[in-house]
Amino acid sequence: MTPVPITDVALLVPELILIGMALALLLVASRIREAGLATAGTVLAAALAAVLTIWLMPQSSVSGFSEMITIDGYSQFFKVLIASALGLTALLSVKRVDVKFVRPAEYHALLLLAAAGMMFAVSSLDLMTLYLGLELTTLCSYVLVGITVDKPDSNEAAIKYFLLGSFASALFLYGMALIYGATGATDFQTIALVLSESGLGSDPLFVAGAGLLTAGLAFKIAAVPFHAWAPDAYEGAHAPVAAFLATASKAAGLAALGRVCWAVFKTPSNQLQLDKLLPEVSMVLVGLAALSIIVGSIIALAQTNMKRLLAYSSIAHAGYALLGFISGTDAGAVATMTYAFLYVFMTLGAFGIVIALEDRGETLDGYQGLAVQRPKTAALMLLFLLSLTGIPPTAGFMAKFVVILNVVQEGYYALAILAVACSVITAFVYLRVAVLMYMKESPVAAAADPDETLSSRLPLAVSAALAVAALVTVIGGVFPGVLTSWAVAP
Amino acid sequence: MSEYFGIVACFIIAGAIAGGMVVLASVLGKKTPSLAKSEPFECGEMPFSLPGGKLAIKFYLTAILFILFDVEVVFLYPWAVIYREIGMVGLVEMGVFLGILLVGYIYAWSNKALDW
Repeated sequence: MTPVPITDVALLVPELILIGMALALLLVASRIREAGLATAGTVLAAALAAVLTIWLMPQSSVSGFSEMITIDGYSQFFKVLIASALGLTALLSVKRVDVKFVRPAEYHALLLLAAAGMMFAVSSLDLMTLYLGLELTTLCSYVLVGITVDKPDSNEAAIKYFLLGSFASALFLYGMALIYGATGATDFQTIALVLSESGLGSDPLFVAGAGLLTAGLAFKIAAVPFHAWAPDAYEGAHAPVAAFLATASKAAGLAALGRVCWAVFKTPSNQLQLDKLLPEVSMVLVGLAALSIIVGSIIALAQTNMKRLLAYSSIAHAGYALLGFISGTDAGAVATMTYAFLYVFMTLGAFGIVIALEDRGETLDGYQGLAVQRPKTAALMLLFLLSLTGIPPTAGFMAKFVVILNVVQEGYYALAILAVACSVITAFVYLRVAVLMYMKESPVAAAADPDETLSSRLPLAVSAALAVAALVTVIGGVFPGVLTSWAVAP
Repeated sequence: MSEYFGIVACFIIAGAIAGGMVVLASVLGKKTPSLAKSEPFECGEMPFSLPGGKLAIKFYLTAILFILFDVEVVFLYPWAVIYREIGMVGLVEMGVFLGILLVGYIYAWSNKALDW
């Protein structure tokens, strides 16, 4: 056994920064009472991680730790995305994290560790490290969902999420074991090599393993039929935690799925045709995407709780994001990456408004007459809702347009028609909220609450996070080329 | 699969011998049951009883902390075995590992988890 060279540690600098900050916060956890200090530390670590990810990026992809960890354009893209989601979530947490029972330092340490796990997962080239990263993320997520211990809903959500999540992890692990049994390897390169020599269908053990692996990853991105945990977990969780789960966690899951698909399930390329996804794998992804889009869009219609509505919206968006992977081309992967990036910012924005409105923002009824009482908040919410729907000047339109374009180019016409049709259904879902905000009178008269003007002033951190989310949502729609040129397929 | 035949045969024979002894003893053996003989053997505890009394929840925390640190310290054993081969790098890595463990210890301490 040769020891790993110490220089390999340089590959993990962003992760180490997050972990270092988390440990530092844990050391002083019992002394920090102010949420602001922990938030500042988390935002600082996230910013540093993002900057160093870009700055330390080598000219070409580099791998280390016995070919288990890599830094390449793909992992860099997602690391920056995860760091941004972490920073914005930390800023959004300022408003309500200093409730009784929750220590801000512990809460932020868990966020940091979850983000470190995600970064680890997106840069892994081996099933072992992938599992390790995803598991670090989910273990922290279980605690984060249940961190508001004084709320029974939160505890219930945490237990549901834990039971289903550990089941999904077990499936993933079992899939890994079967794949190891079939190929004798856990690293993507060797698995792909064995697969290209023998073919996918020849070994039932491998097919079963790959199926279980896909199920485990589909759970992480909450794709139908592995979505059942998401609405309950988001509804019960503290709103910033729900935002973090819906954005960073989903982006990391997508990144892991894309990495596995591209590194393992590609047909060997020859001169005549470019390498593409194996048709069997494409079919599975088509099923997941179609079901997610249909179920997410239609069930969202019936929701009266804003966090549940956003949960079903996130399920539908997972389906749309998968469209890029289905096309199997590198352009498709870039489309999915762009989609994930823009989705994270617009969803964080929408959750940010829910957080800003406090208890009022949790139910749909709370949005009645918002435009009169708090016009700026309502206008921002409208922007995020338009983007989630996919209305042209916003980022959501560009993201949706590019993924659908990619499946059309590869001949999945039925899927593209389905995606567009369900997009119309989701328009009804999101615009219903807009109608409530702009065309309904609030049942509570504005004057009846003298504190309204006071409490409607958002903390600076929340405003800043909303501003960043809004900015990306606008820029992503107006200059879509910025992201596309930066995203690199795995 | 043929290489597993021996082990399967071994299981079957072992099961047959153990099961055969029990069956033979119960069929052929002389039975004179008495109250004392029917009681649970030697251990002194009744086999079926409702759980009674209260157990302090503090035991739970202590047990969890014990498992955490005990399991983590188990990693020292494989490290000690190959310590000479991995040398300085291994020492630093184990230092980092123990440092992280120490953070957990300080966290538990400062949150009064060690107070009774």
